[in-house]
Amino acid sequence: MARKADLLQGSLDLLILKTLDLEALHGWAISKRIQLLSSGVLEVNQGSLYPALYRMRDRGLIESEWAHTDEGRRVKTYRLTRKGRETLASERAGWRLFADAVDAVLSAT
Amino acid sequence: MGWWRWVARRAEVLFAKRRVEAELDDELRFHLEMEVREHKRTGLSPAEARRRAMVTFGGVERYKEEVRDVRGARVADDLMQDVRVAVRSLTKQPAFLAAVLTTLAVGIGGSVAIYAVLDATVFAALPYPEADRLVTGRSTFNDGARLGPMLSAYDFYDYRDQARSFSAVGAIAPFPRRSTISQAGEPTRADVVFVTPGFFTTLGVTPLHGRDFVAEEGEPGASPAVLISEGYWRDRLGEDASVVGTTLVVSGNARTVVGVLPRTARFMVDADLWIPVVRGEGMARSRSAHNFLMVARLRADASAGVAQSELDAISDRLEDAYPDSNAGKGIVLTPARDMLAESYRGTLALLAAAVGLLLVVACANVAGLLLARGQARISEMALRSAIGARRGRLTRQLLTESTVLALGGGALGLSVAWLGQRAVLAFVSVDRIGAVAPGLSPSTVMFALTLSVGTVLFFGAIPALRTSGADASVALRGAGKVAGGVGGSRLRGGLVVAQVALTAVLLSVSGLLMRSLQELSAVDLGFNAENLLTAELDLPAFEYSPEERVAFFDDLNARLGALPDVRAVALSSMLPVRDPGNNWGIGLPGELSTPRGRSFLAFQRVVYPGYFEAMGIPLLAGRDVEPSDRDGEPRAIVISESTAERLFGEETSTGRLVDVQGQDDAHIVVGVVGDVVTDRPRSGRGPSMYYPYHRRTPALMRIALRHSGQGASVAAQVRSTLASLDPNLPLDRVLPMEDVVDASASDERALAALVAVFAAVALLLAGVGLYGVLAYQVTRRLREIGVRMALGASVADVSASVVRGGLMLVAAGLVVGVPLSLFVGRFLQAFLFGIEPADPVTYLTVSLFLAVVAAVACLLPARRASRVDPVQAFRA
Repeated sequence: MARKADLLQGSLDLLILKTLDLEALHGWAISKRIQLLSSGVLEVNQGSLYPALYRMRDRGLIESEWAHTDEGRRVKTYRLTRKGRETLASERAGWRLFADAVDAVLSAT
Repeated sequence: MGWWRWVARRAEVLFAKRRVEAELDDELRFHLEMEVREHKRTGLSPAEARRRAMVTFGGVERYKEEVRDVRGARVADDLMQDVRVAVRSLTKQPAFLAAVLTTLAVGIGGSVAIYAVLDATVFAALPYPEADRLVTGRSTFNDGARLGPMLSAYDFYDYRDQARSFSAVGAIAPFPRRSTISQAGEPTRADVVFVTPGFFTTLGVTPLHGRDFVAEEGEPGASPAVLISEGYWRDRLGEDASVVGTTLVVSGNARTVVGVLPRTARFMVDADLWIPVVRGEGMARSRSAHNFLMVARLRADASAGVAQSELDAISDRLEDAYPDSNAGKGIVLTPARDMLAESYRGTLALLAAAVGLLLVVACANVAGLLLARGQARISEMALRSAIGARRGRLTRQLLTESTVLALGGGALGLSVAWLGQRAVLAFVSVDRIGAVAPGLSPSTVMFALTLSVGTVLFFGAIPALRTSGADASVALRGAGKVAGGVGGSRLRGGLVVAQVALTAVLLSVSGLLMRSLQELSAVDLGFNAENLLTAELDLPAFEYSPEERVAFFDDLNARLGALPDVRAVALSSMLPVRDPGNNWGIGLPGELSTPRGRSFLAFQRVVYPGYFEAMGIPLLAGRDVEPSDRDGEPRAIVISESTAERLFGEETSTGRLVDVQGQDDAHIVVGVVGDVVTDRPRSGRGPSMYYPYHRRTPALMRIALRHSGQGASVAAQVRSTLASLDPNLPLDRVLPMEDVVDASASDERALAALVAVFAAVALLLAGVGLYGVLAYQVTRRLREIGVRMALGASVADVSASVVRGGLMLVAAGLVVGVPLSLFVGRFLQAFLFGIEPADPVTYLTVSLFLAVVAAVACLLPARRASRVDPVQAFRA
């Protein structure tokens, strides 16, 4: 099993935004997708996903709707709003800047 | 729209809580199921898979709570909890709750009721398109002697035809004339009002059916037309649209119905029918008979100021052209809305002021009650703060309590206002265009809400801040036993002084109004109104020639006089108080039209012999009119005492000649009678002149019967007598004279009654306030009283000290209140009759009255103090 990394403060929102940028997903799928995309390195604390989802919905970054699974089960799925897409773009740029800066410091010899 | 989402979310949390919770449950359960299924796929047992899933997830409840937190549910929960606590703690003290709510209901209700009346009248736009461009024009006279300064017809035509500032101009003679209407069937009576063509166009009122008058219908030779009101059309003509084009006989003249006008056509006076004023006919053939109110619509590019100066220039030209009639005469423009409100604006302003005082008195009570409650809870608050409640939380809870009280009081106040508005609208004549509809507008509800929340928060915030800031150690130790919170008592004492002062003002105003009313009803009318039944009779002019009219009234007079219950019969074209009629110029021969001559206006009547005696009007000199006055030159006239005095001074009047406006022949004075009140008792007795019926035979006559006390049976007897003479004659407006006299002071009575109600409520509130303060002081002083009684103070001493405390507050209140009332009284001059604003009787009565009520309010606490058992007091 690969080593796991704790999520950096505030990065959960960014990850959720990115995941939903591809397609609308329900809560469980979001957590799995993050795990998958990070090759299992990033593991979302599943419980803390939901407060984050509700907070982002209230801020208007994502919206939710009830859909049905193939088995006919009612499930709440989330998708990005336009505001969410804009936020994702700016947050992504911010993250890049931050990561490059940290990288630069760490790789200084 | 960020705030909107915030509100929506909180509203969702508050109101859709259960649904939101269920959805969250659903969502989390789905998540866990998926997780469990995945673990099972890796080969774990169902139980183990479930355990693993729960572990990865973390505590379900914990995250649920976190979600709720994120969503602001806690704030909402706290708010609900505060409200619940507030309601619970308020209902635990029902007496307190009832006192505060009643006080608020009364104070806020009164104010809101008056606001609602203002909202429906003074503030409301007139129901006409672009009503703010409507102005009215009335004459001004530099001698200031005319009654109801209307315009003369000829002056109106000149203003109308020459002014360029108006897009439309019309005039109305705002005096309904009862007329006999016949149209295939029994004749009926209806109110007919004269307007010029163009009047309704000016207002912007369009007919429901048919058309408005056209300009030609105001010129001589036009075919007679009539417009009917929606009400008359509905009630008498069965809402039949085909009535347009048919003929209606109005006072004997056949007229074509040209249209039906909507309710909004009513202007100043009730009207069933409108008839066009025809230039050169009837009222419209003079420059000196002032019967018309001009209504004009300003052009979009003209201001009222420009219009006024244009009319002033026309007035100057008229003055030069017609010095006899127009010297010193001008015209003044007033916005229509202001003109219509003139008659009641003062009354409403007075009511608003009175109700404002009442509100302040009520607020003082609320503040006193909340203060007392706050003081009583100092220890509770101190304890809660000692065990860790934050000060903000405690303050918030107290404010929540205040808000709950405010909303409750506001809601009750609105119900009181709903009733109050109807009462005021019913009793004070404020409706001059028939468009005032009772009802609480959104702005009124807002006003009530603002007022109640403002009141309670302002008066609730002070106690809230005081008590939550209490020092825990001091408060807990002292808890209601020592004389802590002296400041609170002093503040409450101050509130009572203010209440007493303001109540004194209200009582004084009420007292002054009631004394005026008393003076008004004591006015000597100049005739005897007791057991006098009045009615009117309009002989159709086309059926009765002047000779036939004389014969008819000779006959009627004899028959009515023979009725068993009738003691005397008076017949006159106008009856005092009931029908003011017009005043006309009278003067010494040749002096009538000279500007500085000895001439003035006197009310004119045509009376049948026996009128003065039957009415109880004393004959001071000469004789009554007689049938023989039919012939003979000069024509006979009877004048009233003040007419004689102004014409002839101390000299003998009988046998002297006078000129009368509108009559070419000279008249000889044959008798002098006492003055009577012709209009409202308020305007007093004044000059009149009387023509003999046998010479000038008007078709419309009023009957006054002095009877033996059986008015109702007399009315029936009169009807059957009349039917035996002519079955087609309707007897109209049968009214006891005493009712007429009563009704003439109805506005004054309504005002006095309303202010009296306000004053009584204020008095009650002040009494309760005083009682509250004293009762509270006695409770606080139980120990001290116990000590004093143990040391030998008598029951009387103890009671006296309580009563003294109360009376001191009242005395202080009066020291402020009486001078304040005297000051306020100066503004009441216009409302008073027969008394001075500084009427000593009123002030003495008010002061005594307040002192007595205060003494009663002191008695209960004093009794309680006197029953203190020293032993109990020490243990307490």
